Amino acid sequence: MAERMSGLNRGAAAPGNEAESGNAEESGKAASQDAERAAAGSLRTEAAGAPARSGAAAVPVAAEAIGLRLKYPGEEAPLLFRDLDVTIRRGEKVLLLGPSGCGKSTLLQVLGGLVPSAIPIPLKAERLVVPERPGYVFQDPEAQFCMPYADEEIAFALENQAVPREQMPERIAACLEQAGLELPDPHTAVSELSQGMKQRLAVASMLAVDPDALLLDEPTALLDPEGTAQVWDALRRIWDGRTVLIVEHKIDLIAGDMDRILLFSPDGRLEADGPPEEIFRDCRAQLRRYGVWYPGFWDDEAAAKAGRFGSTDGGAHAGAAAPLDAADETHVLPHAPVPAGGGTLLAAAAAAPGADASAAAAPAAGTPPLPAPLLELDGFAGMRGREVKVRADRLSVCAGDWIAVTGANGAGKSTLLLAIMRLVRSEGRMRLLGAPEARLRKPRQAAELAAYCFQNPEFQLVTDSVAEELAFSMPERLSPPERDGRVRTLLERFALAGLERRHPYQLSMGQKRRLSVASAMACGQRLLLLDEPTFGLDAAGTVSMMEQLEELRRSGCAILMVTHDDELVRRFATRRWQVEQGVVRELPAPARPAPSSPPDDGASRRPGRGAAPASDHKPDYEPDYGADPAAEASPTGSPEAALARSVLPKGAPTR
Amino acid sequence: MNLSFPYRETWLHRVNPTHKLAVSALLFLLVLLTHDPNVMLLLAVAALLPLALFSGHPPLRLLLYASPFLLLFVSSASGMMMFGSGETVWFQYGLIRITEESFYRGLHLGFRSLQVAAVGLAFALTTRPVALFYSLMQQLQLPARYAYSFLAAFNMLPLLAEEFVTLRQALQIRGGRRPRGLRGLYERLRMYAIPLLAQCIRRAHRTAAAMGAKRFASGAGARTFYYRYRLSAADAGYALYVLASTLLAWQLGQHWPLLPVKSVV
Repeated sequence: MAERMSGLNRGAAAPGNEAESGNAEESGKAASQDAERAAAGSLRTEAAGAPARSGAAAVPVAAEAIGLRLKYPGEEAPLLFRDLDVTIRRGEKVLLLGPSGCGKSTLLQVLGGLVPSAIPIPLKAERLVVPERPGYVFQDPEAQFCMPYADEEIAFALENQAVPREQMPERIAACLEQAGLELPDPHTAVSELSQGMKQRLAVASMLAVDPDALLLDEPTALLDPEGTAQVWDALRRIWDGRTVLIVEHKIDLIAGDMDRILLFSPDGRLEADGPPEEIFRDCRAQLRRYGVWYPGFWDDEAAAKAGRFGSTDGGAHAGAAAPLDAADETHVLPHAPVPAGGGTLLAAAAAAPGADASAAAAPAAGTPPLPAPLLELDGFAGMRGREVKVRADRLSVCAGDWIAVTGANGAGKSTLLLAIMRLVRSEGRMRLLGAPEARLRKPRQAAELAAYCFQNPEFQLVTDSVAEELAFSMPERLSPPERDGRVRTLLERFALAGLERRHPYQLSMGQKRRLSVASAMACGQRLLLLDEPTFGLDAAGTVSMMEQLEELRRSGCAILMVTHDDELVRRFATRRWQVEQGVVRELPAPARPAPSSPPDDGASRRPGRGAAPASDHKPDYEPDYGADPAAEASPTGSPEAALARSVLPKGAPTR
Repeated sequence: MNLSFPYRETWLHRVNPTHKLAVSALLFLLVLLTHDPNVMLLLAVAALLPLALFSGHPPLRLLLYASPFLLLFVSSASGMMMFGSGETVWFQYGLIRITEESFYRGLHLGFRSLQVAAVGLAFALTTRPVALFYSLMQQLQLPARYAYSFLAAFNMLPLLAEEFVTLRQALQIRGGRRPRGLRGLYERLRMYAIPLLAQCIRRAHRTAAAMGAKRFASGAGARTFYYRYRLSAADAGYALYVLASTLLAWQLGQHWPLLPVKSVV
């Protein structure tokens, strides 16, 4: 389709030959920007001069921004867009991709007409066309509603358009039905709906404005896989014949439905514009560099690592451009500092003979003793009020375990973690690093043995600077130099060096997360409990977080991590606890390839990220476990793994 | 987090909220101008009756809701009794000095606070915020932008409560050295206030955007209403009850006093 190429992919493609260096800061960057401006300039005259553009104008424009410049208020705020040109044709399904902070969401709001009318942000554009009746779905299910009941919320949208009262009940029912939200009574409290249902209610209330264009701003970012699928199903049913603009990180379920993808660079330039196949084929380097999710990201990530560590199979991945830019990628994604770190897939295998383990490995080499469990749960139950919310019987966690806690929203995963931390009432027996029940009455006592990170890191950050934050929970007996030393170590370990003076709220989401983990582990805890640690992170942030955790795991910590991301479970976790209807069960198959399997195994198999349901994965991995049944039979894993766990390398946190 | 509880709907719920609000305000003015403890006592009883009978909430929960007000009754009454001025001394012990005048003044004050509390509680328990603001928009032409802003803010309260719980858990875990005394109090306040406010501001911003996306225009413009509030039989009943009970209280209180005092002024 000719009109797909209407916009500014020319900007990226055009050769730069204009020397308009009035505000050129860096020569390299400026050149490309000039090139873009030149290209944009010519396009602009074309667009302005010929309103009925030949050929491409067959389909009318649904939304357009020509020469868009936008800046958030504030002295230091950079120009978010510099003469950006975007044209969306009617009926197109367009996905906006780019690293966090590149302005995708803002652009969505500009193209939908929400900026500057409802959200006042200063902007300048030569031409701005917005859809007649835009409809929005936003990310946060809680913040979308201003009324307490489902029917009232939809009625609010109808009232705003002065729909006669008599028609409202009928319209409300129709909207709910179209959005696939079946409520026995439309007058249902929003607070009683699940997150996925809330987002479908948001879809329903969007339908109440009878939109000609759907602007979807990460509508499934906060949902579990089930809710995500439901929301996309609902949207797919209604988006035919409508223009659709989507900003989303989890794109597996929808990438195939898109007509066009716009890829933005971190400084808000349009880097590429084309059909998905083309983007995912030609722009993998940029996608990886910007830390953007794309189908097959994890495969490329694994392949890049394999390539970096000299695996000959690295180049064998069909269509994977990643091995070629492995070196490039090292600049962008902060990596675990340990040289022996064979990447996540190699990790366990590398840990046994690894350089960092060798120092202390010798004594344990003969018969590795079974490591004492860090956490034992026996007939354990986490309560909410007087009601048992989650039960865990005969489960234990050993050093070196990375346990993914999975299950639907509301199944009781978080309650389990809170109960272990003594933050909610619990019943039954629990031992934490051998400490008996009696020594674990208060959250603070548990917190000295196990670190806990909340889903929203901001709640955990209580001081005014990163350094203070790290020192905050350290034992009081430490002398100031010791304290400073430890703070420095943590800064280094968690890739926060250079940020010590920064206010925690001024960090990026990924940095906040790492800071919350680092500060939670200030006492040198060996058990780390995390509630969705990668939630809201882009690909780069996720990879960096996972590598930090892998680093900790290899140094002798155990990790208990609540997550919805099957890909993380498969690639990083060594064990998996499934919470279903309030019961925690250990799934027999370890999620991650057994340590003895070749490093490349997992990488070459799965084509997509999270596209297939979890149950699909098992057959794939069975051969691995056939090869090493011990690895799955006992939680302690293979002999090598057990050996690796029984020794604490130098990097291990000290108590 | 669920902050509301199920209740049975009664005729008191069907009274027009604006009407109810106006009557409650008038009653407040009236008790401010009442100086006869006998009348005050009867007015308090008249206010307690509909609360007890027609709030639609079970008695135990009602008692729980009313407990702060009962405490208020006891404290304001006893405070005035024991430390108020007066001439006819009944009892004296150290600082405590109960006189006839202060005793009746204390009782009067207690009944007054009870009456105000009962009227307020009855209003709050029988009026949904949505109903109140819809009615204010329809009967008093309150601009829609204020009404819906308030409703959106009400919607945030349960989330705020939830976040408060999370924050408290996070702080319990973080531990750390906290200064004691006034500085500690300030520190604690800061630790709670800043993250909660930051979240609220962000959320308010997002809610505002979402409302704008649903075509909510802050300017005027025609709008219709999902709920229609008019005056009904329930309003007649409510007005009649308040009028009759007030007149009766004044008559009975003045002609058949239960207490041997006419006025506390």
